[in-house]
Amino acid sequence: MSKKKAEGTNLLYQLIGEARQYDDVIVMGRGDPDFDTPAHIVAAAKQAMIHHHSDYTPPEGLPALRQAIADRVKRVNNIDVDPATEVVVTNGGQEALFLMVLAVLSPGDEMIVPEPNYNTYADSLAFAGGVKVEVQTYADDDFRADPAAVRAAITDKSRALLLVSPNNPAASVISPGDMKTLLDIAIEHDLMVLADDIYDLFVYDDFEHLSPAALPGGKERTLTLNALSKAYSMTGWRLGWIVGPADLMARVTELKAAISGGTSVISQQAGIAALTGPQDAVEMMAAAYRRRRRLVLDALDAMGMKYGLPQGGQFVFADISFTGLDSGEVAQRMLSEQHVLAYPGSAFSKDRKDYLRMTFLQPEEQLIEGLERMKVAMQNITAGR
Amino acid sequence: MASQTKADILAGHDANEALNTQLLPPVARRSRDLSADGLRSFLDERIIAASSEALEAGQTHYVDVPGIAPLRAAIANYLGASAGASYEAGNIIVTAGVQESRFLTIQMIGAEFESIAVPTVAHPGVRKALGVRERTVIPLAADVEGGYLPAVDAIAGALAAGCRLLYLESPARLSGAAYADEDAAAISRLLNEYDAMAIWDQGLAPWVDGKYNSLASFEESPSLVTSIGEAFPGMGLASWHIGYIAAPEAHVPAMQSQKQIMAICTSTAAQYAALEASAIFAEAHNRQLAHLSQLRSDLIELARAVNLEVIAGSAANVLALRASQDTIANLNQAGFEVADGALFGAPAVIRLSVSAAAADALQALR
Repeated sequence: MSKKKAEGTNLLYQLIGEARQYDDVIVMGRGDPDFDTPAHIVAAAKQAMIHHHSDYTPPEGLPALRQAIADRVKRVNNIDVDPATEVVVTNGGQEALFLMVLAVLSPGDEMIVPEPNYNTYADSLAFAGGVKVEVQTYADDDFRADPAAVRAAITDKSRALLLVSPNNPAASVISPGDMKTLLDIAIEHDLMVLADDIYDLFVYDDFEHLSPAALPGGKERTLTLNALSKAYSMTGWRLGWIVGPADLMARVTELKAAISGGTSVISQQAGIAALTGPQDAVEMMAAAYRRRRRLVLDALDAMGMKYGLPQGGQFVFADISFTGLDSGEVAQRMLSEQHVLAYPGSAFSKDRKDYLRMTFLQPEEQLIEGLERMKVAMQNITAGR
Repeated sequence: MASQTKADILAGHDANEALNTQLLPPVARRSRDLSADGLRSFLDERIIAASSEALEAGQTHYVDVPGIAPLRAAIANYLGASAGASYEAGNIIVTAGVQESRFLTIQMIGAEFESIAVPTVAHPGVRKALGVRERTVIPLAADVEGGYLPAVDAIAGALAAGCRLLYLESPARLSGAAYADEDAAAISRLLNEYDAMAIWDQGLAPWVDGKYNSLASFEESPSLVTSIGEAFPGMGLASWHIGYIAAPEAHVPAMQSQKQIMAICTSTAAQYAALEASAIFAEAHNRQLAHLSQLRSDLIELARAVNLEVIAGSAANVLALRASQDTIANLNQAGFEVADGALFGAPAVIRLSVSAAAADALQALR
């Protein structure tokens, strides 16, 4: 009997598992920054332990953290929220994503999703019994979510529009003009908006991030998620949040309580330190990602590979159609032959079998080595070896 | 213009009574809060040191979805030592607290069955987790004399009627009552007879002063029982939210996959703290258990002195009493919060966390 081929998230975990077997593996797959959490945040967590800050925390999170989040979304995203009623702390962006989907979608409801997109949205939607309505975006257009295509996808079952900007895996940023148009469409058709701002601090060149909740008429119909994982290198702490209108957030709080009760108090204490403490580490990391992005793009250009320009985020979505192979097979061969882990586009969307997602979350010398190995892998594949 | 879509969403949520069930805090909110079943205790300095060391060494990244390997092994050992259940590390999923354990087991194992039999008296988190996605629930009548545990006959009835998945607590979260060995053995035989499965909340088991056997420890049970609970209770980690699922091998992948979808993994800081807690648990726990057992005996005397009926239970950390709304009001007036049995499905019952403040509360009723 043949073994069932892994797909989607399972495929990614299969590759992660295999990557662990190689001592010299270069990981350009998972969205886990190579930087450790800044020392002052770790030190604050230690102080919190010493001072026994391990008492009760409500499901929606510690008041001091919710205040810090409210301040942050005002400062960065221009979203006004009441920390008492419009902020819920979550176990990372992933739980925030799951909660947002569950809060808004019921069985049979449709969510419009610009594709490709982060695979967990499809998983969460499947759990909720919702239906994903895909709106394709294209590398030639730098994976722009075209408002006209979004409008054309609306049916009488449409209930929500997903806007992930910068996008994962395509790294496109929704322009302010498009964002306004997309929000107008959502208002016109009475759709809820799920906004994923997790990469909002990583926007390149002259591109600009705009949160739909910051626009007139946006906040009352938008749930916005974010997390400390990417910006503060805090993936292991599992700390994220959702902000939105009080009426919907009351329901999000009930769901949060049902799913996990609350969020680890020590992660919350670390989160307070991250958001209220010095921000120079964030800028240092952002500057490193800017340099690495350039380095990766130059290498891909030298290999003659096409890609949608990464306008934001921490990765590149590159076209590998020239290999003639499915992205799962290419990723597998890169890993087993050259010990380089990149994620196959097919894990993000069934229609993206011609793409690979490569993160630039490794030190520059590792990235250079990884790209060299990738070049060899591509040469071997195209030469039929 | 107001959004009709949002109005419909809100109405749907409001109509979901199970989802809107009030949840109890895992640990006391203040000194006179007696509503939690987790202990408010200080962190041992060895836990602080180990957790800090791991964080300073760069353990701040994603880890494996089911948990770090040494903690999974430590939890498997702990379940063997404390509940007689033979689990391997591969059977363990580390969760972000017992509520996540409830949710994952109820929703993911529950998805494999047409219905789930649930005690009419159970922790409110059970009902809440059931409310997230509709399930057919078969009520298991609570046996008041037995500390609100469903009687074996009631369980047999649900199985005979076709239900093949049970959700059971032992000790009961309301009363602390635990199934006697012969009853647990009978339940185990029933599972085997009907080829049924059980989710077994044994989170309060470490507080049973004396022998405790998990349902998973009986001969017929290992492939039929999934156990859940808090990891290393009483070590000051209640608000760090660290729990476990110990499941038969066949059920691990679906829950692991859903855990990935929901949270990717459990907080590394909490996992390394729990790992150190595993090393010092036995020493600290024995002291705590002896202290709480004595305190509980004293509380029973006090309760009887104020004419409150004590409900059968054997977990040393909680005490359930029959109490009128007037009694609850009097306690509230004196500044004490207690767990209202109505939240569990047992009106006119209160649960107190066993503590010095509980003695003060009962004194206030004199």
